Parts: sequence; structure tokens; C-alpha cells
Amino acid sequence: MSKDILVIGGGIAGMQSSLDLADMGIKVHLVEKLPSIGGKMAQLDKTFPTNDCAI
Amino acid sequence: MLDVGRHPNIELLAYSEVEKVEGEAGNFKVTIRRKARYVDEDKCTGCGACAEKCPTVVSDAFNEGLGERRAIYSYFAQGIPSTHTIDADHCRQLNGKKCGICAKTCQADAINFDQEDRILELDVAGIIIAAGYDVFDPSLIPEYRYREIANVVTAIEFERLLSASGPTGGHMDRPSDRAVEAEIAGLEKKAKKSQKAISKLEEKFNEPSAQFYKKYQAGEYKDDEDRKKWADKYTAHLAVTEPLEELKKQAEGFTVAKRLAFIQCVGSRDFRFYPFCSGYCCMHSIKEAIISHEHEPETTSSIFGMDIRAVGKGFEEYKIRGGNNSNITYVRSRVAEITEGPDNNPVVIYEDTRERKVKRQEFDMVVLATACAPIKGIAELAKTLGVELDKYNFIKTSSLSPVDSTTPGIFVCGCAESPMDVPESVAQASSAAERAAETSFQTDLEKEKAVA
Repeated sequence: MSKDILVIGGGIAGMQSSLDLADMGIKVHLVEKLPSIGGKMAQLDKTFPTNDCAI
Repeated sequence: MLDVGRHPNIELLAYSEVEKVEGEAGNFKVTIRRKARYVDEDKCTGCGACAEKCPTVVSDAFNEGLGERRAIYSYFAQGIPSTHTIDADHCRQLNGKKCGICAKTCQADAINFDQEDRILELDVAGIIIAAGYDVFDPSLIPEYRYREIANVVTAIEFERLLSASGPTGGHMDRPSDRAVEAEIAGLEKKAKKSQKAISKLEEKFNEPSAQFYKKYQAGEYKDDEDRKKWADKYTAHLAVTEPLEELKKQAEGFTVAKRLAFIQCVGSRDFRFYPFCSGYCCMHSIKEAIISHEHEPETTSSIFGMDIRAVGKGFEEYKIRGGNNSNITYVRSRVAEITEGPDNNPVVIYEDTRERKVKRQEFDMVVLATACAPIKGIAELAKTLGVELDKYNFIKTSSLSPVDSTTPGIFVCGCAESPMDVPESVAQASSAAERAAETSFQTDLEKEKAVA
């Protein structure tokens, strides 16, 4: 039996889940339907309330 | 993003979709379709030489159609993976025409027009759904005239206009002005061509075209075929340059958008569409207004809404700071209609619910704070995974287990679960990761038990 995890969606939520799991030593397969990960957040210029750069 | 691409424990399967899922918590069998990019991922260096030479221009989805890309493209400049992709719907070569310029340009020999979709089978212990959301399509609200009035845009389109890496390089150029500028560029190209043709003839007959044309119109050179051709070419040239001059005069008056209106609850808190509050749009509009003011200190913004919902750490302070330092006026109101005034200026007609009066105000640009809609294809995905949806088509959860779907071993986070902002998505993502890890470690324990 595999202990890997599948994450569907490479936006901010999918990326965060993947990183957390990967840091715990669990192998993650991250599936994204678009050519690159980043999702909606990559389209944002800055994020509130700190005006940090989104990328 | 970069960390995800580099992490040794993450296998990144971009441009792929889940086709089939079987099994149960701790033991899922997943079939994934890796769509053909027609570019070898191992060879492509992401240099972009192919996209520079590609002759096919396509509207750019990453820039919400406000910019252009080529048929071979990287989704966005900093995209991970940086592998380029050929858009099979628009590529000339893949649609039976003669081309293949990208293949000739590519020094890494990465282009492969014969590449096919690959099917991948995976065994996993658990699944996290982080499929995200779609922006509500405001053209469903006819009174806001989105797409009819060029300077009415959605919040995410406005975000691309604000971005230094966006189609305007961060200048607040209005879409109507950009359309005129694009027209000017097109006509200038044509004018250059026709000017070249006329210049040759002017040299040949040693006479300026305008002078000759006057004589020609007066009836001279009646049977001169060569001169008739010259006259035809000159009229064609005038047909380009005259409207060009007019557009240029019009473009002289163009400035960046300085009077902005933000309309809240477009599609959300609206019983015709989504009765729920999308949660992030109030703060999103305030942020866009603050950033616009940073770009151009003369910018004034009016935020039209029933109320401003600034619920979150530091949010209320951010709202007040915007009002004090960034020329933002919060107008308690409900917008009834948007019409178009002179100079392509949108006019907002609204009821001021404090004064109980109907008012109208003209702006340079109107931004619609669109609702967070369930993502297209979520019903199919839910069916594939065997999880239930709620009445709006978000993944069904319960309040005491907000990241557990109705199927054990399948978890959810972000806007696939319900509308939420970035900090909340991140928190929920960590929570879903922890729940999934439990499933993963449980399989470990069971393995040990089986050995013992």
C-alpha cells in the first residue's frame, strides 16, 4: 500500500498542502490542469492586508 | 511556487487531469491523463525563443484576454514548470497547415508534434481537493453592461492592469483607450505599406501625389492607365491615413484612469445568483483602490456597497487607512445600472441608501467585485472522486470537520470548499495536509501490523 497523497489543484491551497505534506516526508503528486501552477493568486498583483507581492 | 517545483517529495503533474479514482481511504488507485504539450518537458529550457517566432497570435487567458500570447507559450512569465506548451486549437502545424517554425527555432530540439496524451496510474493513501473557484461572469447581470461598456472590468481584470508584469506594465490605461491605440498601430502598419507604394510612383513621375491627384480629379490624364493606378493607390492611402489622423488626435487626450468606482456584491448576496457572501471581495476592492492610489496619487476611488465586510486580522485597520490615506470614499448604496457617458466614461446610477436618493456619478473606469463561483467541471470531478457537493456546488463538508469531504480519505481546502481569501486558504490547506498525513501514516501503521 502506498502512503503517497494526491493533491488536485496547484493554486495557493494546493501548493500549501503539498509543501506541508512534503516537509513531513510524505511523497505528494500535485495535479494541475493548466500548464503552470500558481492558480488565481499568481494573477494577483499584491495581497491584502499587507500589500505583499503575490508571486 | 518555486519551492513546490524544487521539493524532492513533490511530483509536479502540470497540464494533467484526474480521470478515474477507485478504492478507499488508504488505498486509492488514480488514473491521470497527462495532456500532450507537444513539447518535451525534459528538454525544454523555457528560453522562449519559440514563442518569439510563432506567427499565431492568441488572446491570453492569464491576462484575462487583455493581452496576447502566441500558439506556443508559457502560461505566465514566472510559471512553474517553465516548460512551454503548444495550444493545439490554434497551432498552424497541428491544424494541418504548413509551419513548424518553433521546431526550427528550438535549440534544445524539444518540440514534438507527434506527442500524445499519456496515462499515468498512481497508488495513493489520500486525496486533497484544492480545485479552486471561477470568477462569476458579470455579463449575466445585464444592467451592469459588462462587455458592452469597454471601461467596465472585473476585479481580476483590473488586477492584471495593475500588475507590472501585466499587459499595460502597471499603467492604468483604460480598455477603450487601449482599443483605440491598437487600432492606430494597425492603421500605421497599413499606412507605411501604402506610403511605400506611392513613394515609388512619385519618384517615377517626379510629382507629389496630392498635386497629381488634384489634376487627375480635374480630368487630366484620362487615358493614362499608369496614372490611373497611381490615383487608385493614392485613394487607398487616404482611406487609411485620414481615419488614422483622427484617431491620433483622439489619443492625444488619453490619460490613465484616475476616477475609479468599485461595485461590491456582483453576483454574491444576490438572490438571482449566489445568496452567500463571497467574503474576500470587500478587501480586494480596498486593496485595488490603495494600489491604484500608490501608482497615481491623484486617483480617487468610490466603493459602492451595502456594507463593507472587513473581517480578519488587520482588515478593519486596512479599510480605515485606505479611507484616510488613499482617497477612498465608501458609499453605502446599491448600484442599479451602469450607462456610458461621453469619452467612454461609465456612469454609475445608484441609490444612496443613507440619503434615500437616486444619484448618478461619472467615472473613468468601473471595477466589478465579482462573486466566487464554484469552478467549472467540479460536478464531474466530484462524481469521479465520489464526494458530495453542497447546494451551490462547493465540496460538501460539515462545520465540525471543515476539511473532510463526505468520503473518508478525501479532504478539501481553499475555494473548492467555500469562498475564502488567501490567508484562510493557506490555513485550511495546512489543516487538510495534516488530515491527509493522518491517513498516510495510518497505512504505515497497518503495514507494520501486517508484518508483525
